Amino acid sequence: MEKFFELLTQMNPYDLVQVILWGLAGAISFYFSIGNARVWTSISIGFFLIFLSQAYGINPWGHYQKLTAFHYIVGTVAIMIITHGFLEYYVFCRTFEISGNKLVVYLGTIIILLIAGTFLIINPVPSPNTIRNLKMVENAIWVILCIMNLEVVRKIYTAIKGSDIAKGFIAFGIVFICILVWRGSDLYLQIFQWDQDWQDIITLMTEETSDIEEYLGRVEILKEVSRYAGLLSGISVGGTFVYMYKLLK
Amino acid sequence: MFLLPKGNPLFENLAVSKLKLPDVLIKLSNGAFTGYANFVFQSSTSILVFEAGKLVSVLFEGENGKREAGFEALSALAELMVSTGSGALNVYKLSKDLTMCIHALLGGEMLYKAQELKLIDIKTLLEKVKEGQMNGCLRIYTDEHSAMIFYKGGNPLGFFHDGASDIETSSTESQKIAGLPGAKIDLFSTQSADELMGTNLLEVTNIQKIWDTCIALHKTEIDKTNFERQERGRKVISQKLAEMEEQVRSIVGEYVGKVGRGIVDKEISDNGGNSCLIDADRTEKFIKGVERAAKLLVSGTNIKLMMEKLSSVISIARSKF
Repeated sequence: MEKFFELLTQMNPYDLVQVILWGLAGAISFYFSIGNARVWTSISIGFFLIFLSQAYGINPWGHYQKLTAFHYIVGTVAIMIITHGFLEYYVFCRTFEISGNKLVVYLGTIIILLIAGTFLIINPVPSPNTIRNLKMVENAIWVILCIMNLEVVRKIYTAIKGSDIAKGFIAFGIVFICILVWRGSDLYLQIFQWDQDWQDIITLMTEETSDIEEYLGRVEILKEVSRYAGLLSGISVGGTFVYMYKLLK
Repeated sequence: MFLLPKGNPLFENLAVSKLKLPDVLIKLSNGAFTGYANFVFQSSTSILVFEAGKLVSVLFEGENGKREAGFEALSALAELMVSTGSGALNVYKLSKDLTMCIHALLGGEMLYKAQELKLIDIKTLLEKVKEGQMNGCLRIYTDEHSAMIFYKGGNPLGFFHDGASDIETSSTESQKIAGLPGAKIDLFSTQSADELMGTNLLEVTNIQKIWDTCIALHKTEIDKTNFERQERGRKVISQKLAEMEEQVRSIVGEYVGKVGRGIVDKEISDNGGNSCLIDADRTEKFIKGVERAAKLLVSGTNIKLMMEKLSSVISIARSKF
């Protein structure tokens, strides 16, 4: 516990606020998944997993590289499950078919995470470079699926326009825009190797040079954009689920 | 049709609906009946003349006064017997000679038709009848009155007039009518009674087949009518169901939005069409399906209101079926 509080005090205040906001959003979305129809389960479980993926900063065992890698894999799984949920909702809007049950979604998610864990256990300890690669893959998937989800959400909104819940999907649209900016700016930094992880890697482990000095202004803007977009993402997810809960009450 | 002498009534006012034409004819034929059978319907009449059990002539007068004889008359009679629920049969036994005269009247050769009395020499005509030893019937009539004189071998057998039930020996009434302004005559002749014996319609027609065909046709007609009635009923029900379906669709649409109409369509299709709205079990399934889908789109309060409205509309509409 002491270690946990020590980590909290060491964290960047922005990152701490972000984790707390994602914690709230995760709790709200998980609660939402319990009391609502099956189609919502994937969506809310996915958003809950974002909190788990973001919580590595406050994880007392976060220095274990395999665990750090696991956080990024959870993040990747999160957006995939969210996308699956929105696709299911879209299919429902077109066919009005509701199938499956919540337990399968919960179990399915746990099984995927167990497989990811097993994958990490049976493989060598990931190097900082590997962890950075995982983080980049996570960001890339988030960016692609956010764009896709924006389109799906637009289609869902068009299909259910006039219903109580339709405006809730506008809120989800805002959520995905925030996440897209957050993850997109992060990915931008990673692609051009301007991210902090790469800077740490080249400082400690390689003799490679970086052109970051030439683009410091751009890098700072991107870092700020990523930070605030991350904060807004957490706030928007929590707010959206509260709004959805109100709409469905 | 004109009135005929009643002679000796064997049966009167037998309900036609309980009779089968082949049975009646076979019975009269087997009993060597002489006389006529008179089928009286609401607006049609048929007379069958028998001579010693042989069916010598059949006359059928339909609603519009159109007359048919022989096979056509038998068919028309059988058809009417099968299709109508009313009608009476009267059977009168007559002498052989009078039966011959009745046959002449109904199916004999018409020598004069609607001849105005003042334009012909009645005395000469009667002499001609006598000299020609004619068998037949002379009908004298005005618009209001009618009388008949039956002849055998040129000699009068008797006189019959409207209002009488049997033939008379007095010619007073006939002379009275003949004296009325505008009086006309018809003269019918026939073969002798013995010659008539050579004719038997029962031998040349398959009455059982005629009857069976009529029964089959009637059954087809009834089936067709029933089918049409059922179709009409089905149409009315399907119209009511369509109205009910639209009502349900608009209620769900009111609470769920345009997507609500799709939900109703899908649930109706899943529950075997809009007839599910009048079947208690299927209605329950339908309502549950709509509720389940609506939960993904509408607030709990609105779902409650919608379900109450839906149940009430369905139960009111169902009570009208």
